[in-house]
Amino acid sequence: MYGLEAINANNGWAICVVGISIVFSGLVSLSLVISQLHKVLALYENPSKIKAFFKTKKTQKQVEDGQDTFVDLVLTQSQKEVSKQFALLVRTMEDHFSLPRLLHLAKISGLKDPYSNLNNLLKIGIVIPDGEGFFTLNNDRFAQFIE
Amino acid sequence: MEGLFGLFVEFWHNTGFYLVDYRNIIMILIGMVAIYLGIAKDYEPLLLVPIGFGMLIGNIPIFKGLGLGIYESNSVLHYLYFGVTQGIYPPLVFLGIGAMTDFSTLLARPVLMLLGAAAQAGIFITFLGALALGFAPNEAASIGIIGGADGPTAIFLTAKLAPALIGPIAVAAYSYMALVPVIQPPIMRLLTTRKERLIRMEEPREVSKREKMVFPIVAFILCCFLAPAALPLLGMLMFGNVLKEAIVTERLAVTARTSLIDIATILLGVTVGASTQGDVFLTPASVKIFVLGALSFSIATACGLLFAKFMNLFLKDKINPLLGAAGVSAVPDSARVVHIVGQEEDPTNFLLMHAMAPNVSGVIGSAIAAGVLWSLMKSFIQ
Repeated sequence: MYGLEAINANNGWAICVVGISIVFSGLVSLSLVISQLHKVLALYENPSKIKAFFKTKKTQKQVEDGQDTFVDLVLTQSQKEVSKQFALLVRTMEDHFSLPRLLHLAKISGLKDPYSNLNNLLKIGIVIPDGEGFFTLNNDRFAQFIE
Repeated sequence: MEGLFGLFVEFWHNTGFYLVDYRNIIMILIGMVAIYLGIAKDYEPLLLVPIGFGMLIGNIPIFKGLGLGIYESNSVLHYLYFGVTQGIYPPLVFLGIGAMTDFSTLLARPVLMLLGAAAQAGIFITFLGALALGFAPNEAASIGIIGGADGPTAIFLTAKLAPALIGPIAVAAYSYMALVPVIQPPIMRLLTTRKERLIRMEEPREVSKREKMVFPIVAFILCCFLAPAALPLLGMLMFGNVLKEAIVTERLAVTARTSLIDIATILLGVTVGASTQGDVFLTPASVKIFVLGALSFSIATACGLLFAKFMNLFLKDKINPLLGAAGVSAVPDSARVVHIVGQEEDPTNFLLMHAMAPNVSGVIGSAIAAGVLWSLMKSFIQ
């Protein structure tokens, strides 16, 4: 048997396609693996990067899913008033503000029990970390608990 | 007096001069050409000289039954040939190759590995050609693997699939490997433009020692899980590389890349050469194998070049398509040819280091292809 007849009779086309596909997929997967190998080894050589990676991920998750990790406290009327004053102070600052700065402004503005009230805002999730070392005001939580 | 004359006649009948056949003469001449090319032209001398001399050994006309010929079961040559027929020498050669191969350039730019994969298409296309010419599938697979431009792999696969064809396939594979500087450049010039040949490659990034150490283990596990039949070749290749990169096993690595590979190459070359006895070798099938081998090699080169051009359609940093020709695994000859052809256009363009990436990838690719063919042909050899 010769020619196309021989190729068809011996399943030549299928063997050819399967063979090329396997060789290609083998080398493609190997090249993908080795293209990432130096990154994996860099993490292995510097374990602090792994910790930093997970820490960052966790903080971002907390920011994204903050509602789940915060506590639903019931505030008194006076605590709600102080919270509103905190919100006013925040609006005079940048979107991403520093907590010590907010506390300082609260003290010089004469807000009542600034530490305890700010702690309540943090617990409820009205003031939330942005993952970069600063904080932001969560308007949804504010509307839900204060307004 | 008559008895004395009778003894002389009997002796004469046992001499090569009486027993010689025109086919032996042809093969002796081919052997001499191989030795000449190896010594005078420096074409793969480490392979062509042992094979050439093996051809002389195999084609001395002998009196059958004395246990001299390679195909006689009680001969010394037959025992040495056992390493070929049972696929023992090729993995030993691969061990040595692994112990002398530096995978840095491949690790620095893994995308070049695809060129080594593309060049293996020649194997499968030639497989179809061999089927069309009337070869059985197992023989066609052995002929196709010549396109891998990897002598040990071709011998290994042929020993498993079509032992009767070891002689012509081995000689074809090694001849074409030796003729890389003759076969590849015209195809390279034909399929690339001057502008493409002038493309300069970016400096590869530095590769860490740990990366080089981990690579052979990862590559071995991944490739052998995919194509377990490639185990003897890839296993030894990567083991050799582990010995090299581990440093603490330097003594073993030195042995593997010097004495061991030299011994294996000598035994492989001489016995393969000796297996080309005129009456066995000079057949129409051998002529077809040589034609298909040349075709396979050319198609593999062309596939590598064309795939490099295809990759350039998508890559931001273009690659010099000449590198595709190094996808055939004739290490390091095809990489050297790429470098030379590149320098003909721009003497300040150094492609050798970059070409080594597809070149060593071709070694891995052809071993995988051999494993795949072996497993796909199981039904035909049982």
